[in-house]
Amino acid sequence: MGASDGRRGHLFRLDCRIARNATRAALAGRRDRLNAGFMLVVVLAALHAWFAGRSWQIGAWAALGGGACAGVAAGRLIAARLHFHGTDGLLAALALRPSTGRHYRLAAHGIGVAILATITLIARPSLLIVSLPAYLAGAAVAHLTAMLAPSGAVFAKVRLGWTIRIWLHRPGAGMTAAAAVLLSLVVTGTLSSNARIAIVGIEAVIATLALTSVDHPTVRFMTVAGQGSWRIVAHHGRSMLPFVLLAVPITWLILGPLAAGIVAAACGAMLLLMTMRILAYRLHGRRFADLLVSVFAGMLILTAYMLPPALPVAALAILWHLHRRAAAKTWLLG
Amino acid sequence: MTAALRLSGVTVERGGQPVVEALDLSVPQGSWFGVIGANGSGKTSLLRALAGRLPFAGGSCRIEDQELAADRAARAARFGFAPPGDTLPDALRVRDVLECVGGTMEEVRARTGSVYAALGLGALLDCWIGDCSAGMRQRVAIAAAFAGGHRLVILDEPFNWLDPVAVFDLRRALRQQVEDGLTLITALHDLGTLAAACDTGLMLAGGKIAMTLSHDMLRAAGADPHAFEQRMIEILRS
Repeated sequence: MGASDGRRGHLFRLDCRIARNATRAALAGRRDRLNAGFMLVVVLAALHAWFAGRSWQIGAWAALGGGACAGVAAGRLIAARLHFHGTDGLLAALALRPSTGRHYRLAAHGIGVAILATITLIARPSLLIVSLPAYLAGAAVAHLTAMLAPSGAVFAKVRLGWTIRIWLHRPGAGMTAAAAVLLSLVVTGTLSSNARIAIVGIEAVIATLALTSVDHPTVRFMTVAGQGSWRIVAHHGRSMLPFVLLAVPITWLILGPLAAGIVAAACGAMLLLMTMRILAYRLHGRRFADLLVSVFAGMLILTAYMLPPALPVAALAILWHLHRRAAAKTWLLG
Repeated sequence: MTAALRLSGVTVERGGQPVVEALDLSVPQGSWFGVIGANGSGKTSLLRALAGRLPFAGGSCRIEDQELAADRAARAARFGFAPPGDTLPDALRVRDVLECVGGTMEEVRARTGSVYAALGLGALLDCWIGDCSAGMRQRVAIAAAFAGGHRLVILDEPFNWLDPVAVFDLRRALRQQVEDGLTLITALHDLGTLAAACDTGLMLAGGKIAMTLSHDMLRAAGADPHAFEQRMIEILRS
């Protein structure tokens, strides 16, 4: 029994309606809409300016990476949403039909492709031949990995995820990450200095991203249990201290101050991002908080790009603004 | 009496571990079947698997004489099922949720019958789900199970979070629907409701049947609920 065309589209239309209503609620005030519109224009203008100042090859690499990441992220989001519809959703019977799943994926990726195409056209139209195939390849990879994952392993994977997340916040995780950086510096000893700096920079970003992961329910629980903002930040950032204390001096000794500066900058940026997320999670639901942090991160990136000396002031102003509001939330339910 | 549902040797797994094992049961058509058990005994997993929200890892599941153990979508289509209230979308109004499941509000009203009034849905229709309390969300979730017009409905602990008046009215409305031909399967913690309203049932312990509750046993329980409660508590404690 196949779902009729109208019924197949029902699931996707439901999510469109939810997304529309959520966006309306998030941008309810005139000032919110103006701010969001302004930010969008500024981000697109900065993107256009960045791509215009680079050679086609560099732009193509960036479009390839960005497109593939967007495809994987969209594919994973769509798979997670379909899984939710099939287990806890209102239209589970519809969501469990393969034809509805195919229709939902096509429609959702259609929106993803349209957004990416618009951004690419604004940034640099000639990169469309790179960004769109990269998106589709990323989406295909996400779809294949979701199909290959055994369905019964979902809960085991979730439990493994919890275990890893808890471990990542222990000091041992920071020491392990620093040891990995040291090991890679030893292993890549024959490469050029520039290549080693690039490798250590990428490693530092990946390691600090993992070490500063933030769990929304944990932040909400700690807030309701009466923990202040900085205590929650300290709880989430425990593993960063040993990483900074070991990785920065090691990199300095082996590769010099430039590489150490890159590692320190990665640590600082990720700690800032983590702190903003924690403060925002104390104030808002996860989706809106993530949107808010993305806007603030975009503002900081623009400041760093256009007026670097103002970056610390802008970062402190954002932290102070969030902290002032978040402080009032301690002990409060909802 | 014809069986609406017959399970034989079914197993449900979560994270590779069996949470319901080799379970047999039969639910007569037009009856209220109650499932009780301690926390973690497998009630919710069993009901979710019946409603297609989880796969069966083994065994046979015949719904109205059709073998559907391997077909989650078909099971989900056969049963009306109340999703957990906290998973209802915040950015929809109550009216939108019910129309999404059951078509127009006129159709929803007709299908939910006496349950519509018992849940006091008329006053909630224009509320945003995000503004609803846990009890209000529970009302909407229960209504969603009936909005599709199914004759087989599964409710997992439907009386949680409801105020005493709503519990009383809903229990009466559900009983009325069962008298009119509905087959209802509920997980319960309230032994009083089990004794007073259910026709048959079972007690789960560690994913297995600890006790089958026959029609005669539950009628006797209805006559002496205190003795029934004491006996059940002793079994649950052991």
